[in-house]
Amino acid sequence: MDRALRRRLEARFGDVLSGPVRQRHDETEIRIGPADLTVVMRALHDEPDLRFRFLADLAGVDSGSAMQVVYHLWSETTPDWLRVIADNLPRDDARIPSVTFLWKGAEWMEREAYDMFGITFEGNRDLRRIYMPPDYTSFPLRKDFFLADDAARSPGAGVRHMERTHSPRNATPAAVVRQAKGA
Amino acid sequence: MATSAPISRRRASADDPRVILEEQVGVFEPVPPFPPRTEREAEFYTLGDGEMFLNMGPQHPSTHGVLRVVVKINGEVVTDLDPVLGYLHRGVEKLCENSDYHQAICYLDPLEYVSALFCEWPAVMAFEKLMDVTVPRRAEYIRVLSGELLRIASHALFMGWMALDLGGLTPILWSFIERDEIVEMLGALTGARMLFNYYRIGGVNGDLNHEFMSRLGDWMTRATEQHDANVGLLNENEIFVRRMRDLGRVDRETALRMCMTGPNLRATGVPFDVRRSHPYSVYPELDFDIPTRDEGDCLARYLLRLDEVKQSLRIIDQCLNQMPDGPVMAKLPRLLRPRPGRAYAAVESPRGQYANYAISDGTDQPFRLRIHDPSFIHLQSVGLLMPGHLIADTMAVMASLDPIMGGVDK
Amino acid sequence: MTVVGRAWNRLSLPGKLFFTLAPLLLVTTIAVIAILVIFGQLIVDFLAANLPIVRFVVAVTAVLLMSVPTAFLIIYMEMKVIALMNLRLGPDRVGPYGSLLSVVHGLKVLMKEDFTPTGVDSIVFTLAPVVVYLASVMSLLVIPFAPGLFGQDLNVGLLYFFAVGGLSVVGLLMAGWSSFNKYSLLGGLRSAAQIISYEIPLTLSVVGVLILAGTMSLNQIVLDQRGSFLDWFAFKQPLGLLIFFIAATAEANRTPFDLTEADSEIVAGFATEYSGMRFGFFFFAEYVNVFIMSALIVSLFFGGWTAPFDWPWPVHIELNPGGLGIGLLILLAVAPVVGTLVLAAPFWVARSSMPAWQALIIGFVLLNLLIGLGLFALAFLGWEWVVGLFWFLGKTYGFVFTFVWMRGTLPRVRIDQLMGFAWKWLLPASLLNLFVTAGAVVVLGR
Repeated sequence: MDRALRRRLEARFGDVLSGPVRQRHDETEIRIGPADLTVVMRALHDEPDLRFRFLADLAGVDSGSAMQVVYHLWSETTPDWLRVIADNLPRDDARIPSVTFLWKGAEWMEREAYDMFGITFEGNRDLRRIYMPPDYTSFPLRKDFFLADDAARSPGAGVRHMERTHSPRNATPAAVVRQAKGA
Repeated sequence: MATSAPISRRRASADDPRVILEEQVGVFEPVPPFPPRTEREAEFYTLGDGEMFLNMGPQHPSTHGVLRVVVKINGEVVTDLDPVLGYLHRGVEKLCENSDYHQAICYLDPLEYVSALFCEWPAVMAFEKLMDVTVPRRAEYIRVLSGELLRIASHALFMGWMALDLGGLTPILWSFIERDEIVEMLGALTGARMLFNYYRIGGVNGDLNHEFMSRLGDWMTRATEQHDANVGLLNENEIFVRRMRDLGRVDRETALRMCMTGPNLRATGVPFDVRRSHPYSVYPELDFDIPTRDEGDCLARYLLRLDEVKQSLRIIDQCLNQMPDGPVMAKLPRLLRPRPGRAYAAVESPRGQYANYAISDGTDQPFRLRIHDPSFIHLQSVGLLMPGHLIADTMAVMASLDPIMGGVDK
Repeated sequence: MTVVGRAWNRLSLPGKLFFTLAPLLLVTTIAVIAILVIFGQLIVDFLAANLPIVRFVVAVTAVLLMSVPTAFLIIYMEMKVIALMNLRLGPDRVGPYGSLLSVVHGLKVLMKEDFTPTGVDSIVFTLAPVVVYLASVMSLLVIPFAPGLFGQDLNVGLLYFFAVGGLSVVGLLMAGWSSFNKYSLLGGLRSAAQIISYEIPLTLSVVGVLILAGTMSLNQIVLDQRGSFLDWFAFKQPLGLLIFFIAATAEANRTPFDLTEADSEIVAGFATEYSGMRFGFFFFAEYVNVFIMSALIVSLFFGGWTAPFDWPWPVHIELNPGGLGIGLLILLAVAPVVGTLVLAAPFWVARSSMPAWQALIIGFVLLNLLIGLGLFALAFLGWEWVVGLFWFLGKTYGFVFTFVWMRGTLPRVRIDQLMGFAWKWLLPASLLNLFVTAGAVVVLGR
């Protein structure tokens, strides 16, 4: 729990943060909107008293009401992990700038977030599906993903006659979409 | 070479004769998608003069699991490389969202099955952070002990596999002697040889027992000579060294830009090790060095992993000497319902930084469990390192980055 | 249904076999005896008149027949020796110490489905293994196995050898090109490049030996090295030997130069699309090649069938078993029994738990071994060709063991390192060897 880091972040980014800087155990968390991502990331990466030059993780999250992209960064200036949550991406058309201009290794992580959630990373030179087949039509880790439907629409569908008889019309209605409070 | 026009034939499906399948027989060209979906795809799938695609398909004796690599070659020289993943994708993150916190741990083992404990460890740490659980010191020491043993086993596998990819048949069998002993030991401790399912939220699943301690003591007396014998097998072999030196060279800036971690990063000279940079468990109390090398080529990565084994032996020694008494499991309610929150935990696995980001929404199932796997990140770099080298080096470079497809594909 | 038909249905399978084969055998025997009786003299005269051709036909048949058991033996040796180097057991079950495994492999390869993949050029695809196999086996014709025991003593024997060995390149290219497969193409091209590059140092390193021996006939070269082991060309041409050894390893596609079949990169190289007996041809050809290269190293540099030292004292064996008269019959009746008892006795006495019948079996087996050894010793001392064959095979299999040893120990080189080594190092070295030898011969005289 690095209080000094919290003060520095509030001083530097106070105007673009969309929530308080939260700290728990050894993690510090800031929330921003997708439009400010480029500026914030560049500042975190380049500024000499921040120097968050190591991108540890890039994850997509579906919080039920909106999409999020969560970045974890590490710097030698602080013992904490820094978590940057780019929140409130609309569920239908989630778009966010890519960080591949800073870390080329984020390319595949963004591909994975696109594949699993449908979040489009603008600026990623290679935004195509990474795990699912290229003509797959839905995004598996979203909370509103149902397997029976999409398997029938996938290119592997229809080869076994069961997939034609047990089609979406006959499937049971969908379960409740989970929402996370304050996720 | 015959034409690349696909020859297809039609036959009835075995399941339902009314369904007619059209199969392509003959050469399967990695057909460029039209229109190309991304810039990179357009760049990759345009053939220059004299170039051709070679598809090292998912079934191949030497890709580290089911990995498909489309290689663009000009004669024997690789000009570009595109790994295609997803053949081992099992939907682990989705499975974890629909299961308990305890059940989720079982799903995480088969990710990097070679070093399964390192897949459970960050998840367990993240859950403990969510629930504010303190792990007893004895459990922490047992975790470190078993982890370091598994690190040695994983590096032994790496060494053998690297040599096998280059054509040497003997080192893999010798290194498997070492790995087998360690895995039998851990089998005596945890009950399983490969997918251990040993760490629990709040501790470990069972104390050290007599069989484990006797096997461990037995092995420790021979460990150093065995390791030196394995190292000496290939260290000074001219053919081996010539093939690995100056191959797949990575410099510091590129490695940091590609988000590499673990031995791949330390081989370029950056002394970043999660155990020292962001200490967890009882590593602050243990005394060990972080070996680094400067060259950043395959040989450096190979030798560095062998150096790390020596450090692991030191850590195991200290663990055994400093093992405290006490319980191995914290007292927890049976039904775990952490309050809503988020937690991130990372450990230093034999391949790099293995991390988990857990989001809880107050129920007894994790809302999101994100798995960050180092092999996934490192496989990106293959496309960067390969151009200019020969096909035979594809395997060497991939082996030296040590990916495990279970982790790459999740 | 006739009587015969009903009787046939009632027979069991062995019965059916017997009643089919026995009449056939009877008829064949009678026919052969009739032919021999009627035409016997004519046949003998014909053969005597064309003795060289007859000898040639017999030699070629023997060579072709012997190549398969040789390949079997070398395959087994490779599996077992590499396994022991890997600290594991290797073939263990099929026969004593797994020695019959090669035979089983041969049968398996015959029983596999033989298909031609779509898109291949069928004639070329089918002929490729034949060309490769023949290129290997035809070279066995000129190798002297023992004094007087060679296929044909061509006076351009060595040239014939290299010419025929070069045909394997054609076969490999045929295989690589005709399989409708990029891996095969790459493998075929790699192997063609490799073999062609290493043929030059191979032939040049041998020219030194040719200068010293003055002839290209392998038999003469071996005869030139008669005497003690100091006469062997290995001591007069050490650099030539080294270059030849390395080039022979590359010619035979053995580790460390086995990238044509590097199964960690291009699956099986040129042989990816082959299965069944076609693959068996490639497989056997490789091992026969190993034998041939070893045989050549031995013949050229290590004295072939000559012994390292002459037998120190003259041996004069004169056996006259007929002189014993009736005693011979008694000896033949009594000796096995007495021998078994004598050899069994120590085992039965020393181990109290051993039942008598077990001891007797051990004794009998040991007696047979002793008799076999005795006969071999007699043959060794009596007939020259046994001695020669013994030494030749011993030395050759020593080198085969070395090839197998290298496979178990060394990793593979890369194609560019391989080609660079051949052209930049071996070729100049062999030229140097040639010049030095020629110069020495001119300056010092023979």
